[in-house]
Amino acid sequence: MSEAIRESKLKKALSAIGRVAVYMVMGIFAFMTLYPIFWLIMNSFKTTREFQVSQLALPHAPTLQNYVEAWKMGDFSLLFPNSIIYTLGATAGIIFLSLLAGFAFAKLKSRATKPIYNSFVIGILLTTQTLMIPLFLEVNLLGIYNTRLAVLLVYIGAGLPIGIYLSTEYIKAIPSAVVESARIDGAGFFKIFLKIIIPMSVPVATTLAMLNITSIWNEFALINILVSKTELKSLPLGIYKFSGSLSTDYGKQFAALTIGMVPMLVFYMIFRKQITKGVAAGAMKG
Amino acid sequence: MAYTNRAHLEEKRAYWAMVTPAFALYLLVMAFPIILSFVLSVSNYSGGKMFGGEKWGFAGFGAYARVFTDPWFWNALKNNLYIVLISVFGQLPLGFIFAYFIYAKIVKAPNFWQGVLYVPNIISVIVVGLLWQTIFSPHGPIGEIINYFRVSDFQAQLKGIFNAAGGFSLSDDVIHKILDLAGPAGQSMFSNPVPELRDLLSSYQGQPMSEVYTALSNLFVQKWSPAFLTKPDIAMVPVLFVILWMYTGMYLILFLANMQKIDAQIIESARIDGANEGQVMRFIILPALSGTIVNSAILAISGSLSSFALIFAMTGGGPSRVTEILSIYMYNNAFLGRPNFPLANAISLIMVIISFVLIALTKAVEKRYGGKED
Repeated sequence: MSEAIRESKLKKALSAIGRVAVYMVMGIFAFMTLYPIFWLIMNSFKTTREFQVSQLALPHAPTLQNYVEAWKMGDFSLLFPNSIIYTLGATAGIIFLSLLAGFAFAKLKSRATKPIYNSFVIGILLTTQTLMIPLFLEVNLLGIYNTRLAVLLVYIGAGLPIGIYLSTEYIKAIPSAVVESARIDGAGFFKIFLKIIIPMSVPVATTLAMLNITSIWNEFALINILVSKTELKSLPLGIYKFSGSLSTDYGKQFAALTIGMVPMLVFYMIFRKQITKGVAAGAMKG
Repeated sequence: MAYTNRAHLEEKRAYWAMVTPAFALYLLVMAFPIILSFVLSVSNYSGGKMFGGEKWGFAGFGAYARVFTDPWFWNALKNNLYIVLISVFGQLPLGFIFAYFIYAKIVKAPNFWQGVLYVPNIISVIVVGLLWQTIFSPHGPIGEIINYFRVSDFQAQLKGIFNAAGGFSLSDDVIHKILDLAGPAGQSMFSNPVPELRDLLSSYQGQPMSEVYTALSNLFVQKWSPAFLTKPDIAMVPVLFVILWMYTGMYLILFLANMQKIDAQIIESARIDGANEGQVMRFIILPALSGTIVNSAILAISGSLSSFALIFAMTGGGPSRVTEILSIYMYNNAFLGRPNFPLANAISLIMVIISFVLIALTKAVEKRYGGKED
């Protein structure tokens, strides 16, 4: 009996040690995740000279001057609205077109569904980045290089495969009787789509919004080859300007990086649950 | 009959009205570029207007031959492979273990850990790339931390020397010991070390000892500047570290979401039957997640093919091209110096073909493990 008690005590002690070790490993990883971000924000309030002398201490005379200058140099007052237009425009486009096609694939009968739907599913693993050179030549060929239209079209096209996959699977789960009884009442397909399918698809639309807002806001590779005019650029392109010759002007560079980072951090803090759910759903591609 | 025909027609019309916009856009952004990249890869197109400009035409498969004989292609492919390996053997296991710690409630506050470890994923890769470029640069904090320890170690040893001599002293013994401690840095600074250092030290007579230590360490401790990203033989290491740093949280979320789908009752009853932690892992959790693990590995490969901006911002493919990955190798061939569009398009098509192989692999996996994960 006492043997058994001793054993269970030992087990408890061991598991306590294990628990501490687990906390330590995860704590170190969490620290390594957050500290660089904290370090960046903290140093964005130092002058470049103070940064060069001391990088680890808190700023002794915090200044906003870096932000004022970085905002001007990066033309952020132009780029911010652009990023908002691209992100919201493309996300709305992806959601609407995905639900529309998803409804047709899921509830309307056609022999075309199989080949077309499968071609979308194949597109999920075909990343658009691998096509940036032919895409660049294509938008030139179409005469839409340096236009907002090109950015929106490419972003929507690139977001459709996963959008259509998730929408179709979601709408398939809506009972067909809902659609059929509306048909018997004389409703057309578009009316059914607007009045029944869209309201019932809010969860999948939310998932798509989370996935696309975060990825389009941060997107760089594609927009980099689609526009070169400052008036059309997005935030990541503006921030990239602070590398190269400006990269040793640390104060401004850090302010610019912080400006680029904070909107998404805030968005993440508000929608963390939905974003996490979206990632889990969106990453497991057919 | 007439009614059903009309209904059928209406359904058909609605179907195409709903599918066409998405499908047309998809063809424009995915299918047409693939065809274009093939056409241009076997042409002698050199930029400018595609129609009505300079004439161009079929030029054979020379671009592919040039890609496969270019050592920089193999270098880029190797780097893509490194990215896949750090994902499969770094991010996946770490993400899995962390997910398990949270799932099995070994750590409290699941939302906190999940939330924190995912943060790097929502920051723009440009920001991440430039941030880490600075951290790894000679002016970055790593150098400051290392130098701080070097200086404090040097000062501690100085203190020992002076304490042994009973305070401030200009004796030969002290001078020699300091020069020994300074090593080659001390020798190279003077032409006649002993008297010169004594002269220098004597100017500090009467000052607080801390001043003496600071002056000597400023003089003798060589500042170490980390130049991780400028040394070709190790430049890929920090890049891989950042990739590990950035994406581990994503796999954590994936694994955790799929662990939470496991019926808790199965684990409960296995525990009641006397199964220990390891057995639960081996016979319940791992089999339930096998599909997710394989899918994650495929995701890692496709992620490696699509990565561009992180390395573009962090190293630009340098120093001397060693950190180029396929996408940057392609980009540089198209936009750096004289554009070589046939070559760049050949690379693009090679990447597309790798993707298609992956897709075929996914289909095979799906058959093997039955059904999709979602």
